[in-house]
Amino acid sequence: MTDTEAPPRVLVVDDAATVRLYHSSLLLEAGFQVDEAANGLEAVEAAMATPFDLFVVDVNMPKMNGYTCVENLRSETVATDAPVLMISTEDRPGDADRAYAAGANLYLVKPVTGERLIRIATMLTAGRGTPA
Amino acid sequence: MNPLLAQFLAEANDLLASVDEGLLHLERDPGDAELVNEVFRAAHTFKGSSGLFDFPELTRLTHAAEDLLDAVRGGRLALDSGMTDDLLAAFDLIRGWLAHVTAHERLPASAGNDAAGLITKLRAPLGGEPVAHTAATAAAGIAVIDAAPEWLAWFDAEWLTETATWLETTTSTMRFVRYTPDADCFFRAEDPIHLVRQVPGLDKLGIVQPEQWPAPEEYDEYVCLLSFVVATRAGIGELEYLFRYVPDQVQIVELDGDAITRHLSGEPPLKVEEKVTIAVTEVIDSELAADARSVLAAAQRTLEINPVEGVQLRSVALAVMAAARALGVPEDLTEADRASVSEAVERLLAEAAPAPVGTVPVAAAASAPVAAAGPPAEPTGRADDPGGQVGTRVLKVDQEKVDRLMELVGELNVAKNGLTFLADSAEEEFGSRVLSRRIKDQYAGLHRIAEELQSAVMDVRMLPLSVAFGRFPRLVRDLSRRLGKTIELVTEGEDTMADKDVIEALGDPLVHLVRNSLDHGIEPSDERTASGKNPAARLTLAAVADGDAVIVEVSDDGRGVDPVRVKRKAYEKGLISEEELESLSDIEAVDLVFRPGFSTADQVSDLSGRGVGMDAVRASVEKLGGTVTMRSKLGQGTSTRLRLPLSMAVTQVMVVSVAGQRFGIPVDLVVETVRVPAAEMGRVLHQDVVVMRGEVVPVLDLARALDMPWAADPDADRAILVVSVNGQRVGLLVEQFHREVDVILKPMEGLLAYADEFSGTALLGDGLVLLVLNMKEVLGLAARVA
Repeated sequence: MTDTEAPPRVLVVDDAATVRLYHSSLLLEAGFQVDEAANGLEAVEAAMATPFDLFVVDVNMPKMNGYTCVENLRSETVATDAPVLMISTEDRPGDADRAYAAGANLYLVKPVTGERLIRIATMLTAGRGTPA
Repeated sequence: MNPLLAQFLAEANDLLASVDEGLLHLERDPGDAELVNEVFRAAHTFKGSSGLFDFPELTRLTHAAEDLLDAVRGGRLALDSGMTDDLLAAFDLIRGWLAHVTAHERLPASAGNDAAGLITKLRAPLGGEPVAHTAATAAAGIAVIDAAPEWLAWFDAEWLTETATWLETTTSTMRFVRYTPDADCFFRAEDPIHLVRQVPGLDKLGIVQPEQWPAPEEYDEYVCLLSFVVATRAGIGELEYLFRYVPDQVQIVELDGDAITRHLSGEPPLKVEEKVTIAVTEVIDSELAADARSVLAAAQRTLEINPVEGVQLRSVALAVMAAARALGVPEDLTEADRASVSEAVERLLAEAAPAPVGTVPVAAAASAPVAAAGPPAEPTGRADDPGGQVGTRVLKVDQEKVDRLMELVGELNVAKNGLTFLADSAEEEFGSRVLSRRIKDQYAGLHRIAEELQSAVMDVRMLPLSVAFGRFPRLVRDLSRRLGKTIELVTEGEDTMADKDVIEALGDPLVHLVRNSLDHGIEPSDERTASGKNPAARLTLAAVADGDAVIVEVSDDGRGVDPVRVKRKAYEKGLISEEELESLSDIEAVDLVFRPGFSTADQVSDLSGRGVGMDAVRASVEKLGGTVTMRSKLGQGTSTRLRLPLSMAVTQVMVVSVAGQRFGIPVDLVVETVRVPAAEMGRVLHQDVVVMRGEVVPVLDLARALDMPWAADPDADRAILVVSVNGQRVGLLVEQFHREVDVILKPMEGLLAYADEFSGTALLGDGLVLLVLNMKEVLGLAARVA
């Protein structure tokens, strides 16, 4: 748990630079602290070094895909109980289940409106810090 | 342009390039799974990013391409060249759209029509339009189609009809706003006009006048009587945010083509319900509730499908608590076990009202059991990085910033050179040799740093030749198919680096040379077989660094250039005289193809005969400070060699003066400087000449060519600068030689751009502006005034 005075810290994980920028700038504007990772491996490394209050994770990524990344976040390696929001372009049946099996708390299909992302991020991080 | 769109366009360029390259490789090696994956990933990433913008056609087309690639990736389809053609065509179309987006921030109006055929083609191998991916998923999230309100009638019917057609073909929707400002809004510091002007993505604005204007004597200009109807591509959220202070004065509806068509035909709307007056706070609340329910549903599904425990259970519990709090019914599940979390979820879902259609992101149908994931991969990186910052090692920097750096380096060089003058005057004017030497020492240190800085900045601007070669696999493939020739393209030395400007400027000449090779140089396969050659021709693009220059060679093993035919052609066109026809050597004859107005193609083809010939190639390469030479063996092939400076940023010039004015001449052209006794100057046919080592060199008077008042002292030795232009030696009569300097050449701008005799200006250390001569033009001038 972080110090409740600090705004919640979010890790945005996506291999597409544009999407990453979009999500981070929305979150930054809403007063979150934001770090970025370009693939699952980077995300796991970052999470081992820094406690995050929320993860926003893409599914399709090189080096380590989103599912494996979330499994790692929940495994003993990182063991974070922070909420994980998966956002993907995939909307085939079973994709959401794979995300939940891996340990995601919510699976959304792109594009997610900025408002909705902030609303959900705020809801899930309430009590994990206070967005300024 | 907003930074997000700019970022998207930059990223899109890279992605499209890798898609193109990958597809071409795939055609040759369809079995390369890694390659298929790469292309699929690039297309997929591109589609994902495009979905952030309101470019529904773009997203749909990319989606179709992506699905096809996905089928190839999954082994359900084998890629054939027809599919590759369709895919390439799709990405070509997209590239064109992006250019349009760059200019206008929207897709061209024809996008829907242009894409329709391609989408059908791309989907055909997959058995047509998919059922699972309805167009709605490609449009923004969940489209809730409202009923058309009666105020839609304020829009022009013709425009509505067009829009409805457009919306139907693109299966997208549009937002319509009715904004009726309060009569006394001016007294509340509201500015309706300003507000309407801020609507993003405005497509159509209608101003609604009152049914009856009040009589002039009763008219009060402080009462707002106008209202507005707006059609926009902006999202509902953006609109709600914009109108957040006047929620009671606006109505926002989202309509698709069908709803508009119904409105136009006077049919009742599908859903008979009161028009929604947006109350912003209420909406957000209900949406928050919907999101909370989504989280609960996700938790419910998670608990159903796997044995949740430990960290995962705790995270589910925390998420459920967050959702409960959002719904206004806080729960405490911090220490709860699986059963109690499960029970809480069921209870909360039962309590909360059902979510509106389509917001639960859970796959409703129970799906196949999830394959057990392997053991988690061990992260290979070190976790003790103190910042925990994850970042990339590559920066993308706007070129303007680098150019600005280069300018500053240039200015630093000039300022630095000022120290040498200061050192001289310390000694001469102030008689302090010690101070002079100290200044020189300082200068030496500064000089070294400035040099290093300059090369560091130049390094930043360096790109590999592969950037220039990148387009050729595609070009050669398309053209060879069209011409029915079999051609193998070989590239060598694509890692050779050169300045970005050089690389970019190389593009057109290279395309021209390659087209020439394909079109005229390389024979059809049967002709090649008949002459005992390999039926597959070989075209080579090679680059090699050569000191401070880079050499790029385009060579083929085709017909070669027939010197006899070239000479005859040049003679027929009046480019050479009868004597030349007899006397020109084969090498000189081949060089004739660079003469303006020459083209050996008997018929101008649409490939390379577009009224530009090799003369244009030579001109553009020379403009870069380079040279072009051609070597050819009849029946064995042709090779064209371009030699270019590595960088155009810094030029070495020799400074000469005439009539007290200094000029720069590019050192590359200078052969030697000589002083000739006046008596040794000769004249042949009104032309001053000087004999050097048995060769007669014409001498031009630079002062006369530039129309400057100066005449050489009849008795003094003549200062002659010998230059070599187009292989010809010419002496320039000047007043004095000075030193060589490195300068940053700035092209002439504005009105001065018409002064062809100068290739640019440079600042010297003493603050003087040096004019750098364009020797080719100066020689032409001299010939005219002679």
